[in-house]
Parts: sequence; C-alpha cells; structure tokens
Amino acid sequence: MKKLSLHPLTWWIWAIGLAIAVIRCDSTIFTISCVGAVAVVVFVNRENAPWGKSFNWTLKLTAWILLVRTIIGVLIGVPIPGTKLFTVPILPLPNWMPGIRIGGTVTMERLSSAITEGVLICAIIVIFGAAASLTSPHRLLRVLPVYIYEFGISIVIATSVLPQLVSSVSRIRQAQKLRGQSLRGFASWRKVAIPLLEESLARSLDLAAAMDSRGYGVSKKRSRYRPIKWRTADSAVVCTALIVLGLS
Amino acid sequence: MIKFSNVSLIYPNSTRTVLENLNLEISEGEMVLVIGPTGSGKSSLLRLINGLVPHHTGGILAGDVSVDGNSTQLVKPGGMAHLIGIVGQNPANGFVADTVEEELAFGMETLNLPNDVMRKRVEEVLDLLSLAPLRNRSIATLSGGEQQRVAIGSALVAHPKVLVLDEPTSALDPIAAEEVLSILHRLVHDLSLTVVIAEHKLERVIQFADRIVHINGEGVTSVGTPEQILMNSPIAPPIVHLARALGLKEIGVSVREMRRMTSGIREKEYDLAESIPSPTDNLIIEVKDLSVTYDGKHALKSVSSGIYGNEIIAIMGRNGAGKSSLLKSLAGISQVSSGSVTVSGLNPQHLKGKERRTTIGFIPQEPSDLLYGQSVKIECDQADKDNQIPSGTTEQILQQLVPGISANTHPRDLSEGQRLGLALSIVLSSNPAVLILDEPTRGLDYQAKKELTRTLIEFARATGKCVVLATHDVELVAELATRVMFLADGDIVADGSTLEVLLSSPAFAPQVSKVMSPLPWLKVSDVIAAIEAHQ
Repeated sequence: MKKLSLHPLTWWIWAIGLAIAVIRCDSTIFTISCVGAVAVVVFVNRENAPWGKSFNWTLKLTAWILLVRTIIGVLIGVPIPGTKLFTVPILPLPNWMPGIRIGGTVTMERLSSAITEGVLICAIIVIFGAAASLTSPHRLLRVLPVYIYEFGISIVIATSVLPQLVSSVSRIRQAQKLRGQSLRGFASWRKVAIPLLEESLARSLDLAAAMDSRGYGVSKKRSRYRPIKWRTADSAVVCTALIVLGLS
Repeated sequence: MIKFSNVSLIYPNSTRTVLENLNLEISEGEMVLVIGPTGSGKSSLLRLINGLVPHHTGGILAGDVSVDGNSTQLVKPGGMAHLIGIVGQNPANGFVADTVEEELAFGMETLNLPNDVMRKRVEEVLDLLSLAPLRNRSIATLSGGEQQRVAIGSALVAHPKVLVLDEPTSALDPIAAEEVLSILHRLVHDLSLTVVIAEHKLERVIQFADRIVHINGEGVTSVGTPEQILMNSPIAPPIVHLARALGLKEIGVSVREMRRMTSGIREKEYDLAESIPSPTDNLIIEVKDLSVTYDGKHALKSVSSGIYGNEIIAIMGRNGAGKSSLLKSLAGISQVSSGSVTVSGLNPQHLKGKERRTTIGFIPQEPSDLLYGQSVKIECDQADKDNQIPSGTTEQILQQLVPGISANTHPRDLSEGQRLGLALSIVLSSNPAVLILDEPTRGLDYQAKKELTRTLIEFARATGKCVVLATHDVELVAELATRVMFLADGDIVADGSTLEVLLSSPAFAPQVSKVMSPLPWLKVSDVIAAIEAHQ
C-alpha cells in the first residue's frame, strides 16, 4: 500500500480532535477502541525513519505509566466502599492528615476507577505519540511560523533528537553487553542513561548551532522553496477526527 | 577577508587559555589549514569566525574577530549566515530537513530569498557537487561522503564568501575524501572562496593548503606556509617524516615534490626481503559462508575467511561496504542470516558475562558507549571487579597507554585519544583472545595514533592473539596491519598481505609508497631499514 504524504499539521490536528473526543466521552470502551484505531493507523502509515519507530517506545512507556498509576491509585487515596477484593496493611499516618490513607482494603470500585483514570491519561499520550511518529519533525518545522523562533528550535530538537535517541539506546546497550554487563533491572538504566544524556546534549547543541549559523530566525519572513500544500487527503483525515469528535 | 586582532579566548570554569593573542589575516581566495593536537582549540578557532564562540558556547573573548568588515562582537552568527558557511564535525547532527533538496533550500528560506533565486541556486549547487542524482533521496539513507557533500552544498547555496569546515574527511574513506577535497580545491580556484579547514589527517589535505595555523595546545599559535610550519612541527604527515628521516634539507608537502627530491634514492638496488611476522597455526576466528541482511538488503554476501594468531587484520572498503556488519558478526552482536562464525571454537552470539569478556574485546565506533562511570577511577575499579583481578591493574594499563590522566577526571572531559585509551584499557584488562576495533582513529591526532599502533602490535605479537580493525586510515594500516581484507558491496574482493593489497590500488596507497614507487615500501621505517641494509 502506498503511504499517504500528508501536510505535517494534519496528524497533529487529527490527534487534538481525537484527544478532545476521548476526554469528552470519558468512556473506557470508547477510549480503548480509539487507541486501537490510532495504533492501526500508525502501523500502516508510519515511515521507516527514527521518528516512525518512536511509537513502539510510546506504547512501552504508557504501559508502564498505566501500571504505576493503577498501583498508586489503589494504594493511596480516599477509600471507595464496595465489593472487597483484598486487604493490604494500612500505613499509619499522623492525624493531621485526615481523609488520606495508604493501604487498607482494596475494593472492586477503587480498582476500576484507578484503571479508568489511568487508561484515559495513557490514551492521550498514545494519541499524541502517534501524531509525533507519523509526522516528520523536519517538515513540521518548515510549516511553523518563524516568530515562534525559540519554540521552533526546541520543537526540532525535541522531535528530531529524541527519536534518534531510541536508536542510540540500542547501540549503547549493545556495546555494554559486549563489556559483559548484565543489563537487567533498574540499575542498568543508569549505565545507559549517562552516555545517552551526553550524546543527546551534544546533538542538540550541534543542531542549534547549525540552525543558528544558517540564519534561522534572523529574518522574520521566510520564503518557501517548495510550499507544502493542503490536499484533499488532509481534509479527509481531519474530517474523520471531527466526525469522531461530533459523535462523542 | 577574515581578521583576527589580538584574539585571546578562555572558556568559563577553565583555567586554560584556548588561544592567546592570535593575530591572523586571511585574504580572499586563500585556503588555510588549522592543525594541532586533539583538544587544542582548533574547533574553537573555526567557530570564532562566525561568532558561534562565544555567542553559543560562552567564554571570555578578548580582541576582535571580523569577517568582511563585520565584527562578531556586533553581529550574531545568524547575521553572518549570508557571509559564512560552516560545516560541523558531524554534519549528520546539523541536518534540519528530510531530503537533499529541502536541506539545500533551508538556508535560503531562512534568508527569505525569492523562489526563482532559490531554484536557480539549488540547481547550481546540485551540479557543482554532483548531487543531482541524489536530489530527492532521504538524507538519512546517504553515505558519509554524500552527507558531507550535502552539508557543503547547503553551506554554499547562500553564496558565502567564507567556508569553514571542521574535519571534513575524518569519517570518509580515501576516495570520498579525495572527492570532497578536490571540490574544495576547485571552489577556491574558480570562485575565489576563502576556505578555513581543520583536519587531523594531514596527508589528505596538506597539498591543498596555502597556509597553516598551528595551535600547540597551550594557546600559542604559529602561522606560516606549510613548508615553514611542518619543518619543525611534531604534527606532520608521513612524507615530511620521510624527508626528515632521509635528512633532506628541504621538505616537500606533495608526492610530486618528494619524488623529485628522492630520485637518487630510488635508483639504487635494494634487497627487498619482506619481514612480516608469520601467523601462528592457531585458527582463532573462522567465518564460513557468512551472510547478513538488514531490511532485505544484503550487507554481507557469503563471506568466508580464517584469522590466525599473531595477525593484525585491517578491513577496508568504502563507506557502506559491509565493514561494520562483518565486525559486528565477529563480535556476535548482529543477527546472522546464514553461515557461521566461531571465535576460539565458540559461537560469539551465545557468549555472556565473563566468558564474553575473555574471548572478545570490542571497541565500538564511539568508545564512550562503553563508559558510564562518573570518573576514570570508577571505570577502572569496575573493570577490576568484573574481571576479578587485583585492584589497580586496569589503571596501570591505562597509565601505560596514555600517561598522565588524572583518576578523578570525568570520561566526558577526556580528549578523543584519551577516551579511546580508557575504553581500550578496560577491554584489555580482561585479556581477550581477540580484539576488534571499529574505526579507532576517527578524530585521533598523530600522537594518539602512534600510541594505539604500539599497543595493538604489542597485544598481537606478545601472546599470539589477533586484532581485527575496520578503518579508512591507510597510513595506520601501513604501520600496523599484517593482512588487509578489502570489502566491496558485501564481498571480500581482496585478501592478502598489507603490501600486496595496498600497492595494488593507487587510491589506497600510503604516501610513502607513492613517493617510493615502484619500490615496495609502505612506511618510513621500511625505507630507512632498507637503506641501512644497503650500506
């Protein structure tokens, strides 16, 4: 199947539309089906480029967020009465913190409300992660107006350097495996994080310097070498989001 | 065109002066080469020209730098964009667009040039740098040399008067480097472009330079013609070392000059016995019908070979010929499509932990990938602990390799050569049977390269082990390799002794052999040994 070549803003508008729909609707089934649809769109349409691959990491990240959010949501907070599932020991708190408890009885209602909230947050992250992985950050920069110069530079750095880091992670992990390090558990992340952070800083500075020395942001007006046009396909994609928004 | 008046530079939180009282005037159409050891301030000097230093990096600048009458004190780097084109050390980090054409247009778009001018100039540059067949290609898919040409092109479209390049050939194979340099040479001569260039591999650029700025590392600079500077400089290409070793009164910076000066030496008869240490019978690495495929593309096509003890094998070939894929399969970190690799009788893919460390030592292209400690000492202690060797052993190896590193330095603050030394001593501390290095000399100065050569030869000779390295650096290969494997498009196209392979292709011949041809000498010490034996 031929991949659509769309305006760089299209997927972002689409994502904003879907995100609003998901928040307005506040139904877990709708949210999950939305995430499913988004994932299908990404896997069909993404390009074989660093930002395209970043979606896998978005999914992994959101799975973690969902897990952590649910555990914390169940353990900490106001108890909701209902069907009792199991009990964990209560952590005694000083009496100047009324209304909050840590641990105690976990009810079905408490668990489901924690999961529902978590799913919503994760859905929003997945939707925007999808837009980021479907759009080339470089093309996005070209359509952004110059007067948001500082913002433009940060966007390019965030969206082009961060996805490249994904490939750096695997490269660094590979190298350290060669040093015979076991790469399991949380502690190993520190070993990857340090070289990674250094590299990303160096890359960001290089990119900012390169853009600066090519005069980015000096003239408030920019000419267009090959203007990116808004096509019917773009309108169609935005329409799907609007329809979903209307139905919600 | 460019004027440095009494320029001194100090970076914040540093006590070392990067540059001290530099006075330099570069006129239009001149090609100036900046040389010096790593970390001596070559990049800083280049970036002073358009004001990236200190506007972007911070630092205290005394004196004044001006380009075509514009002082960098008053004009920011962006304001100089129409005047100065700058190509950084790693052009891939500076690309802002996806395709070649868009990348070329980016600078002109920011300068708000009208559309018809842009179209004309893009075509001009595409032709000038022979980029036309690549115009719609995605930049990420280009080879190193092509990316370098795109970076130069995107600097040229703004029609600058000055072009500044930081190590433009360090990542390129000899042929791609030649292409880039001949383009620069043409620009200087045809368009009277002023070019300032920093480069470690002097043998590649020296013949094009009009003048040299030598920074000695303590901020002291000297400026002069190549002959003046190289007469006494410790940093010199092999032909200058040859001239010195032969006791010539003058030095030549090009092969042509040197051939004229040494015709008398070549005419004599020599005893041409080769003295390569013979490999042991111990087959250490065996590669059988190895194929590697990435995304449907064949990186290696049914490669077979054997590597024995005592051998130092250089794997050469153009960018993208499959060198890294071969090294990674030897180290067991890439998926093998078919065929097999055995190292000391083991399959490298299944090695783990200590067994892996004692079988294969691998130095990746970025040695810093191996490092994660907060200081040199922590790194060394970790290696001691991992290998269960007496504490301090790794540090001792490091002190032998690169003396004078303070144990409390952060690995990030080390120079390229020192960082490679640290990674190498960590790998050597586990005493592996095979040492594999991917492009070890990128960004290394001559001193660091000499240290590396000595270490690798010692490692291979002392204990009958083998070293495999991929490199573009023909001079390094001439110095240390016993055997060269030449890859092209995933196939081994040549495999033989260093002498045989290097002399068979003019592009890959080292400088000394070009000067001494048809005599089969690769390095200065070969020539001296042969002359001494003759007397």
